[in-house]
Amino acid sequence: MSEMVNLIVDGEKIQATQGDLLLPVLLKHGISVPHFCYHEALGPDGNCRMCMVAIEGQKRPQIACDTPIKKDMVVNTKNENINDIKRKILELELLSHPVDCPICDQAGECSLQDYYMAFGLNESRRPKEEKKLKNKKLDIGRNIILDQERCVLCARCTRFTQEVTHTNELAIIGRGNDARVSTMPGHKMHSPYAMNIIDLCPVGALTSKDFRFRQRVWFMHSSKSICHGCAKGCNIYLDHNQEKYKSDTIYRFRPRINKKVNGHFICDAGRLSYKEENLERLEAFFHHNRPVSQESALSYLLRYLHDEKPLLIVSPSLSLEELRVLQDLAKHFDLEMNAYHKAYMDEDFGDDWLCSKDRASNLAGVHKLGISTSKDELVHAAKKTNVIINVNHKALIQRTPETEALLVHKKEIHFLSHLFENCKHKELLIPISSYSEHEGSVINEDGILQRFEAGLCNEKPSLLELIHTIIATPSTAKEVWEEDLENIFGIRYEDIPEEGQQL
Amino acid sequence: MITKLVSKNFEIENSHTLKVAKKNGAYKSIDEAFKKPAYVIETEIENSGLRGKGGGGAPAGAKWCLVSRAQEMDSLAAASYLVVNADESEPGTFKDRQILEFDPHLLLEGMILTCYAIGAHEAYIYIRGEYKFFAERLNEAISEAYQDGILGDTVKGFDYRVDITVHRGAGAYICGEKSALIESLEGNRGHPRLKPHRPSPEYYFNKPTLVNNVETIATVPFIVNNGADAYRAYGTEKSPGTLLFGLSGHINNPGIYEMAFGESMQTFIDTIGGGVKGGKKLKAVIPGGASTPVLSAEEVKVARLDYESMQSLGSALGTGGMIIMDEDTCMVTALKNLLSFYHHESCGQCTPCREGTAWVDGIIANILHKKADKGDIELLSDIAKTMNGKTICVFAPAVAMVIDGFILRFREEFEAYIEKSMGEAHV
Repeated sequence: MSEMVNLIVDGEKIQATQGDLLLPVLLKHGISVPHFCYHEALGPDGNCRMCMVAIEGQKRPQIACDTPIKKDMVVNTKNENINDIKRKILELELLSHPVDCPICDQAGECSLQDYYMAFGLNESRRPKEEKKLKNKKLDIGRNIILDQERCVLCARCTRFTQEVTHTNELAIIGRGNDARVSTMPGHKMHSPYAMNIIDLCPVGALTSKDFRFRQRVWFMHSSKSICHGCAKGCNIYLDHNQEKYKSDTIYRFRPRINKKVNGHFICDAGRLSYKEENLERLEAFFHHNRPVSQESALSYLLRYLHDEKPLLIVSPSLSLEELRVLQDLAKHFDLEMNAYHKAYMDEDFGDDWLCSKDRASNLAGVHKLGISTSKDELVHAAKKTNVIINVNHKALIQRTPETEALLVHKKEIHFLSHLFENCKHKELLIPISSYSEHEGSVINEDGILQRFEAGLCNEKPSLLELIHTIIATPSTAKEVWEEDLENIFGIRYEDIPEEGQQL
Repeated sequence: MITKLVSKNFEIENSHTLKVAKKNGAYKSIDEAFKKPAYVIETEIENSGLRGKGGGGAPAGAKWCLVSRAQEMDSLAAASYLVVNADESEPGTFKDRQILEFDPHLLLEGMILTCYAIGAHEAYIYIRGEYKFFAERLNEAISEAYQDGILGDTVKGFDYRVDITVHRGAGAYICGEKSALIESLEGNRGHPRLKPHRPSPEYYFNKPTLVNNVETIATVPFIVNNGADAYRAYGTEKSPGTLLFGLSGHINNPGIYEMAFGESMQTFIDTIGGGVKGGKKLKAVIPGGASTPVLSAEEVKVARLDYESMQSLGSALGTGGMIIMDEDTCMVTALKNLLSFYHHESCGQCTPCREGTAWVDGIIANILHKKADKGDIELLSDIAKTMNGKTICVFAPAVAMVIDGFILRFREEFEAYIEKSMGEAHV
């Protein structure tokens, strides 16, 4: 069956595997075929009837999503008749649609809107008072709002709950044009992956309560990032926008397709973890609760480094580049360095899909670079010094009783991306950029090395730049790789593929 | 004209009880048939030219072969099922219920033979939910058959197991569509499945499954008892055998009458049917259940009751349940009645059907309520065109053909209504 065959689509020759479905092959070759119910992750359902194509030798137009590829097939996706059918079916989809694009959050990324602009552009032939009214603004749980009137009943969402999460919260109820997506009476969505149906929904029927009315999608910039919520390293789009007189702000995370890591989906916790990135930032350098300039802050730091041999505790969520320059710093001043990991374990969070119980995003990288994560070594090292340097480590930010014991009578220097109440009054606070602001690379729990782009363009010095000013280590991720990471991992920074490199 | 093969016991008192049924020869065919290899029955059915009697008229033998072939090709899928489609909900059709009411043992006998032929041990009867009385009668017959050792681990002492379960539907017309029926039987929402790209049987829980109409299965004992040629002696070459034809509507003798295929429709209406009620003139006939295009009185004169003749007239024989309409019938109202039904029964899976059935129903309502627009007839035809041939199952194409049939033959009545709307609008 896996024989490669030729077929002709709109007069052009295409090679494809015999027996594969036609629609994904067409889409892969950049041939636009409108479709609602087909989704790469869910397969065809055949209900929307939008992907009609003409196949030579077939009496009737066929749906491309359920047509297997045959040798020498001749396909026409754009002839007069096919375009007319698309127009007619769109007209039917829009018969009872409220056409409320101006107040709909999907506008700008809505298939129905796009197809209407491409094929429709017709006036409805049915008076608007005859529209079928359904329920709007239904809160179906897990931050999801359902508008049944905007729905095209493609069943992507119901199939997701049936076939992917097996939680079966959603079903289509009612027959004919009374059909609608619904939860069972008195029940709500409960899957920890529920919000994926918002991305799956090709129209504005399912919108995120969290994102609704906050930003127009065409104003936002999307950066290719990696979720730092756990060790899975799901690929995400970080959608952000800098409004006038405001700082650059993240409005949402969306899953980015990576079949090696997360497929098409991310968990809700990861999706909403953008809020933590938007929390109040540490904006300035503080010395004993007093704002100081970068120069004086760094001179204080240098003094501690020289005089006290502090213990360097680093977060196992830092990027490989950050960890590498911190290693250089430790080596330079002969410091002990520890990326104590137990604080990042969260048994309740883990599942057998995309949620890892390890909430650190680069533990594999920590191990590769040979940084200790042992608690015994940490406790032992802490006994030898009076000063602790913390680089964004959760345990020192959250200050569990365990870490409090460790920090008794110690001076604390914190490199922090965000302003944490617990650390506010300590000796020295140094602001650093977060993963949403700088580029870098991490290794996930499955040993896949992945790069992430810089997203927000807020003016925060990166850890790399700060350490560069102290001991002249490389100041960019690429330079760190060129200096020695590429020797360790056997790959150049720019060669790390988009879907990651299995190590 | 009347030829009683399936309905031979209908008028006997207590024909539904095992005692009476046995006295009239029920279950006799099993004794002979089970001594022969299974394929003998299959061959006999194929040779008989038996056509499915649920409306489609597809050759039954070919369908049976698909099940056996699927079993041969895939040993993992070897277990097969028989599902009898008793979801009789087509308006104008009421033949299966006669079998269920008056001769349920004939159906059971046919099922046992069919199970043996296709190698199935489990059979289901999917019966329309509203058929409560018939489901009860069927269950009584089944328990009688179990008690008598006809059903169960050893059918009439032979080393072959057949178990029959009655499943009541929940009132959806679309569950009469075989793949939707199986979805429903599996416990899912009754939505038709995507059609396979090559000839294939149905699959109930991934096992090859034969789905046949009640009447089709009830015909099997006759063919097994008397042979294919005896069955072919009735009817026409392409439509062999008999069918339970139904008469309803404006007719003096409504009811179910078994006849060989090929009889004249006009003669049937005039003689057995006793003519149009009240001595009125005939206006139109819907020949085989609501989903077949209507025939005008002129066409009825030349129509013969077989698949070929109906097809040549641009209609279909369907289930053979004829709805007779007299000269006073308003065809716009008649179409509205049908479209309300389809609007209500569209399963809502495919866009053209889900939205189309509602829209055409609304347009006809507008025409009836003097709110029509000038281009409404063209709009109806245009929507029908969009609905035809673009959906998973044949529900929407059937609706499209019904609309086209009415407009083609009775356009002037629709135009008159629209004129009225226009007149009102001017006032």
